[in-house]
Amino acid sequence: MIYKPVIDRIEDWPINKISLQKDRILQETISEAILQLKKDYPNDQKIREQVQKTLYLERIRIKTEPWEVDPEDEAEFWNGIKKKVLHSVTNETQDSELVAKRNNETLEAIVSRYAHEMMGNFSPKLFWFARQLLRRIFARLFNAHFSSFKELFRPQDALKDKLIVSGAVEKIRALATKGTVVLVPTHFSNLDSAMIGFAMDYIGMPAFQYGAGLNLFNSKFFALFMGNLGAYKLDRRKKNPIYLETLKQFSKTNVMAGAHTIFFPGGTRSRNGAIETNLKLGLLGTVIDAQREHYENNPVDLAPKIYVVPLVLSYNFVLEASSLVSDYLRRTGKENYLVKEPAQVPFKAIWNFLWETFSKSSDVHVSLGEPMDVFGNNIDDDGNSLDHNNNILEIDKYFYTNGIFKRDNQREMIYTQFLGERIIDSFHKNNVVKTAHVVPFVAFELLKKKIGTNDIYTILRLPEEDREIDWEDFKMNMKLILDELYHLNNKGKLKLSQNLITKELDEVIELGIQNISIYHTNLPLLKNKKGNITSEDLQLLYYYHNRMEGYGLEKFIR
Amino acid sequence: MDLRNSLDKAPVGVIGAGSFGTAVANLLAENSRVILYSNRSEAVDKMKAERSNIGQQLHENIIPTNNIQDITDNCYLIFPALSSDKFRTTIQGFAPHLKPDHIIIHCTKGFDIHKEDGTSLVDKDLKISLSDVKTMSQVILEETCVKRVGCMSGPNLAREIANLQPAATVIASKFDEVIREGESAIRSKRLQVYGNNDIYSVELAGVLKNSMALAAGALGGLGFGQNAMAFLITRGIGEIIRLATAMGGNKNAFLGLAGIGDLVATCTSPLSRNYTVGARLAKGETIEHIIATSSEVAEGIKTVNISKKISESKNIRTPIIDNIYKVIYEDLSVEKALQYLMEYRWGQDADYV
Repeated sequence: MIYKPVIDRIEDWPINKISLQKDRILQETISEAILQLKKDYPNDQKIREQVQKTLYLERIRIKTEPWEVDPEDEAEFWNGIKKKVLHSVTNETQDSELVAKRNNETLEAIVSRYAHEMMGNFSPKLFWFARQLLRRIFARLFNAHFSSFKELFRPQDALKDKLIVSGAVEKIRALATKGTVVLVPTHFSNLDSAMIGFAMDYIGMPAFQYGAGLNLFNSKFFALFMGNLGAYKLDRRKKNPIYLETLKQFSKTNVMAGAHTIFFPGGTRSRNGAIETNLKLGLLGTVIDAQREHYENNPVDLAPKIYVVPLVLSYNFVLEASSLVSDYLRRTGKENYLVKEPAQVPFKAIWNFLWETFSKSSDVHVSLGEPMDVFGNNIDDDGNSLDHNNNILEIDKYFYTNGIFKRDNQREMIYTQFLGERIIDSFHKNNVVKTAHVVPFVAFELLKKKIGTNDIYTILRLPEEDREIDWEDFKMNMKLILDELYHLNNKGKLKLSQNLITKELDEVIELGIQNISIYHTNLPLLKNKKGNITSEDLQLLYYYHNRMEGYGLEKFIR
Repeated sequence: MDLRNSLDKAPVGVIGAGSFGTAVANLLAENSRVILYSNRSEAVDKMKAERSNIGQQLHENIIPTNNIQDITDNCYLIFPALSSDKFRTTIQGFAPHLKPDHIIIHCTKGFDIHKEDGTSLVDKDLKISLSDVKTMSQVILEETCVKRVGCMSGPNLAREIANLQPAATVIASKFDEVIREGESAIRSKRLQVYGNNDIYSVELAGVLKNSMALAAGALGGLGFGQNAMAFLITRGIGEIIRLATAMGGNKNAFLGLAGIGDLVATCTSPLSRNYTVGARLAKGETIEHIIATSSEVAEGIKTVNISKKISESKNIRTPIIDNIYKVIYEDLSVEKALQYLMEYRWGQDADYV
């Protein structure tokens, strides 16, 4: 099915309209962030401590982790801040009002710099151009698999077998003009944003805004595209409270302005390959914050509404699986271990990934969950919130106590927890299970069973000769797990890919092995000469196995 | 009825006019008007005519009703005081009328287990997994649009409250606001109120103690004194904590009023329904006879069954629960069970702290 654009002209898309109000967005971000920081650090002394801490961390960052994308005046700017801080410390005993004013100026200078750095751009022309280019790239990728000559000129047709978008597509299209759509996807790969962007364009949605790691902008090629396609810049090197608050206010201001946005609620890519179960509630909370402010600023029936749409991406294999899982294993048990973002993501790696994904018999599944309001209630086709009996809800009343509208941060924090739980639940229900998820799950679980341990490190250190799993044993367990998966699918607890439903058991296993092994040099799974299952890379096997965690499948292994 | 828009503050709702519901309504009525709902219209008529219910006088601020919307349209704060087996269906009846600005604080110390195959919770062959077991606050969240949910739990024997004796209770909710609202509604000269944000653990404490109340009744029924009771209470809290921790609870709540406090009250008072069942078992009555001659199934009979199934699946050491289970479901005599417990090697004291 080919979807028509929800809004025809790119110029009329919310993201473009917002791009034209950049100055206002910046101003609001800056003033809101300062307001909030002053609430969190309610006196001069505390603000100054934060400024000093930020200065200290930033100077370390400049020395130890410089990136190409960093502006040339970086050192100069922070030296200037240093002078101001020193000045205010030495003059502390003098005019306290003057000192407070200086402190404020310093804070504002930092917040303003951060906000300007985050701001992206949207160029309708470049968007149009990128779309044409990408479509042709895909067409090229599919060349090997074209079923008809016609598809060469209609790449969308070929795409539909490779990029499968399922779930509440029509409803989300309808919501695009009724309110602000916030997509909350699982996060496995650096390519997720691009893949989701492409999928959304494919179903005719106007472009989404999203945060892209500043490291991606180190490459001029990516900088040109992403910087003009609605990406704002996230610098994961900066973890100081001033930066994080500015980022929160920036995304909130954009959502309030009506930008359809992608938030990765897990924060970073899943390190161990499992679906997120811990969400970063700080950023997620901004949607509730924004919804409340809409009700504060508008009459109830005119207040814009924010819709949250969970989304699960299912790849057969993940580009960065290897480095993610070794990172995870290194980090386990070391709470404060900091993961450094690579300064560059090699273009070649991405190209290889795309090539392997789309040119060989492989596909990517984009599964959209039911849209919800910011409290996790269901939504009807007209965008109304519904209760369990499908009665329309006045959700502004969630902000009322005893008939009075009240702001209550603790209350909103718990609402955010509830929303997070609903999102995680949706992730599990809309997870499209592929052969490449089930096969490694069963293999790794059988190794655990065979060795008689739950300690993954013992399994990961297994010598090659101990990794072999008897084919018949494997097949029998695959059958048991598949039966349970059908059962869970019928109960709506997860979804199954077409292959799992239609193919015979032997073929499912073959496909699973083949699909996760397409990309990796050391094969996570293979059949040896005896016809048994074995692995060349147990870390990768573990990574892919984790995808099926959280369904209680372990107990079905015999 | 339209009471919300008058100048006075909105009335508070109570769902369920059993002995505890009536006691709670009387407590609340000291601070504001109360609408007391019963699903039996004849009971409502009787309350209106006689101004009393189940032996308790009704405070003049209490308005009895049989109409769900009298509660949902007039009250922001609602206290359901229902038995666990009627909880879900009653809440389902209220759900279409509940609104996002309602706050619900329930007073039910029981689990909800929905078995698709219709197995009863007092069936020996009951099979459950942890995900089947729901606390009442989880039921409210599942069935209604209300998010602001809390529970009231602690050593609050209905008859003592009805007799205007002093007591203390815990109001637990993730929301500070719910604790504040609940406290200001129910706090009085005869009821001290404490808050706790760990609602799940507080709910678990209230339910899991039911098994121990049965055991206490059995000890009482055999005529034993305070040494035996103290033995049961201290080892009992240990079992409860182990079980609750395996269910995802946190042990801190069990050391407070809702845990040890409630346990002491129910184990030492012959007033509670669970205690009575235990005492009758000790006197040699069969469980079938006890159930057949009681107006309601004591929560403890279900709790023992559920606790036993969970401790089995989680591989937890719960000798007291195991033995009460055998008494109720496997015809072991109370004397034999006690003998077994006296011969059991317990090991370390206070191993649950």
